[in-house]
Amino acid sequence: MSRLASLLALSTLLALLGCGSSSTTNKTTATTTQPSTAPANKTIGFSVLTLTNPFFKVIADTMQAEAAQHGYEVLVVSGDRDVKKQSDQIDDFIVKGVSAIVLNPCDSQSIGPAIARANKAGIPVFTNDIKCQAADAKVVSHIATDNLQGGRLAGEAMVKLLGESGGKVAILHFPQAESCQLRVQGFHEVLDKHNAQTTGGKIEVVATLDGGGARIEGRTAAMDAIEANPDLAAIFAINDPSALGAYSALEAAGKVDQIKIIGFDGEKNGKEAILQGKIVCDPVQFPVQIGRKTVELIVQHFNGEEVPAEVLIPSKLYYKADAEQDPELADLASEEAAQ
Amino acid sequence: MSQSDVHNLSDDAAARGTGPNLAQRLFADYGMIFVLLALVVLFSVLTYTEQHPTGADAGRQVAGSVLQEFGAQAKVLIVARDIAGDRAFSVAAQQRLTERGATVLAVVNGGPVEARAAIERAIAAKQTIDAVVANDVAAQWTIYDQFPQVGAARVRTPRPYDWPNFLKRSNLLGVANQTAIYAIIAVGMTMVIITAGIDLSVGSLVALASVAGALYIREHGGREAGLATMLLGMTVGIGVCALAGAFNGCMVTAFRIPPFIVTLAVMMMANGLAYRLCQGSSIPELPGSFFWLGSGSLLGIPNPVLLMVLLYVVAHIVMTRMAFGRYVYAIGGNEEAARLSGVPVIGVLLAVYTISGALAGLGGIVLASQLAAGDPKFGLTYELEVIAAVVVGGTSLMGGEGKVLGTLIGAFIIAVIKNGMNLTSVDPFNQKIVLGAVLLAAVLIDTLKRRRFALFAPA
Repeated sequence: MSRLASLLALSTLLALLGCGSSSTTNKTTATTTQPSTAPANKTIGFSVLTLTNPFFKVIADTMQAEAAQHGYEVLVVSGDRDVKKQSDQIDDFIVKGVSAIVLNPCDSQSIGPAIARANKAGIPVFTNDIKCQAADAKVVSHIATDNLQGGRLAGEAMVKLLGESGGKVAILHFPQAESCQLRVQGFHEVLDKHNAQTTGGKIEVVATLDGGGARIEGRTAAMDAIEANPDLAAIFAINDPSALGAYSALEAAGKVDQIKIIGFDGEKNGKEAILQGKIVCDPVQFPVQIGRKTVELIVQHFNGEEVPAEVLIPSKLYYKADAEQDPELADLASEEAAQ
Repeated sequence: MSQSDVHNLSDDAAARGTGPNLAQRLFADYGMIFVLLALVVLFSVLTYTEQHPTGADAGRQVAGSVLQEFGAQAKVLIVARDIAGDRAFSVAAQQRLTERGATVLAVVNGGPVEARAAIERAIAAKQTIDAVVANDVAAQWTIYDQFPQVGAARVRTPRPYDWPNFLKRSNLLGVANQTAIYAIIAVGMTMVIITAGIDLSVGSLVALASVAGALYIREHGGREAGLATMLLGMTVGIGVCALAGAFNGCMVTAFRIPPFIVTLAVMMMANGLAYRLCQGSSIPELPGSFFWLGSGSLLGIPNPVLLMVLLYVVAHIVMTRMAFGRYVYAIGGNEEAARLSGVPVIGVLLAVYTISGALAGLGGIVLASQLAAGDPKFGLTYELEVIAAVVVGGTSLMGGEGKVLGTLIGAFIIAVIKNGMNLTSVDPFNQKIVLGAVLLAAVLIDTLKRRRFALFAPA
């Protein structure tokens, strides 16, 4: 009898969990789809790379807000960088019969079969930030930052920073990501051109280390770079977390005044660091624009318009002066000024 | 330990008894199946929703209602996508309409762009469009309202019916297919845990097998590789992992290093080796025959599911009917006592870890076959997924107790909850909280059951 009781207890617990969580989502979706007059079954499934990076959260939130105005509900799930998990999520989207699927592929190749299944089910697939490279997967449109151009901007900023004197530079790379390869490629292009033309000192890349795209690995890699090159003049980090990791390495080594950092992304932490002078500047990405453009293209697609196969959103350089004017950092800027 | 012995004794006593006792024993061993059924009912209710048919029947039905509404002289546009079910829909609708004398202005099997072009052509030819026959998906395209001559009000769709999304055939097979890999690996993990061990290396071995197998195939022909090369590649992948498993077993038996430490070390090494072998990038150069294992199906059932069922039948027989299975339980119950009663402890442990490694390798090959590439990023945290399935299935981490079929049920409980939460659009952060709570609840209930619900009692 006691066993029966235990099972009953567990099943009610599970039932409660199930109902509890589903009712909370009902609430949240209700708040995100206010002006919608269209039937509730117009949904877009969005599988993000990971929700631990605020960049993707911003894209997801923007898409939810933007799509609501066109009568779509956006279901957001996180692939957590696991391509099998993401592929299962796409299968679940197909079963639900969503109108369109958007994803940041957890792997450019292995996500192919899942996208092919969505193609077979007649559901249009869009990607943003990360491109799908698989041969037999059909993607309607890909929306991303122009990373090559962003890398060139970082290179130009570096030339401006080190000027005629030149100096030694280290790169904190994340070679697994194609986007970061493009950033570093653009960066090198500008430096090579500068070195070929300059009459003054050359800018020399003395180390390219894997900063993992994360704070802790970035810190470790930067420490190694400083150790190996005591006369380092600057660091280019391919994203903000690794740039902030590099800054903490400079603090530990007491070289904050000697070595300058250029980052990438312009997420909020990065912008704050620019305002505080910890990072010189960032080529910034515009996740809000990526999210908006994605929804815009989906709406156009269903309107029967031809949409471009790829939309690259140019990046812009963001300096301390920009941070002081940035409404996103208004509180912090006034504090800085008061000090 | 004595408590669990008593438990086993009472179970044996029950097994010798008559009908009701047998039922009681089944209930005790596989009680989790009722939880699984409760979940199925729960998600069937929660995902009970309007379904929108497509295909020939739906096409005829909507054509019929258009004829009724607009008469036999109706001028109709048919819009559907370019997929198998939709083509059947438009063909059937066209046939029914022309049979009864209605004019079909155009049949679109494509996307919104093609539908728009067809409407523009019809308008340019000064045709009036009385009605648009479309299935639900094509009806949701926002093209119709852009032409005052058409308007969404003229679109007719097939009559919907109600059915749970969860209970759709494609979803149930999908859940089974999604679980198959975890469940296959969990067979070996159950055996390891019954010996009071643990195998943390399985996740990394999944990646290693996929990379080693894919690499072998790429080096011997790639996309044009023959069947023999393909099979050899699979064997290489599984073999490498079986070796790694045997290494785990050696370290555990010969040097008495705790399994947690040994397999943690192998987890790191296998992960590093997988990345090193392929220089960090995935290997998609595989022949078409390679995808049969993961993406093919027999009698409508996906191959990984059939493989999973086969493995569980074999494992169940081995664990309940053969000496080897008895030895595994005996070692987990009390290793020293097992050794003294003549159980070949070292051999059995070696075999168990080797099996666990080989099955992780098999999982890796199936995954590579499903995802059409070998990739060092595969298998991330699968050891935890698999351990969770084993524990939810009622196997004790203290060893000596547990059922292989319980693990299968455990794996399905987790898979059904994940799938159900995706279908009911539970927020991804909440999903993790729920999964954690379920794991805890399963262990809690199991512990309480063993203590016969005496709280704060000594273990």
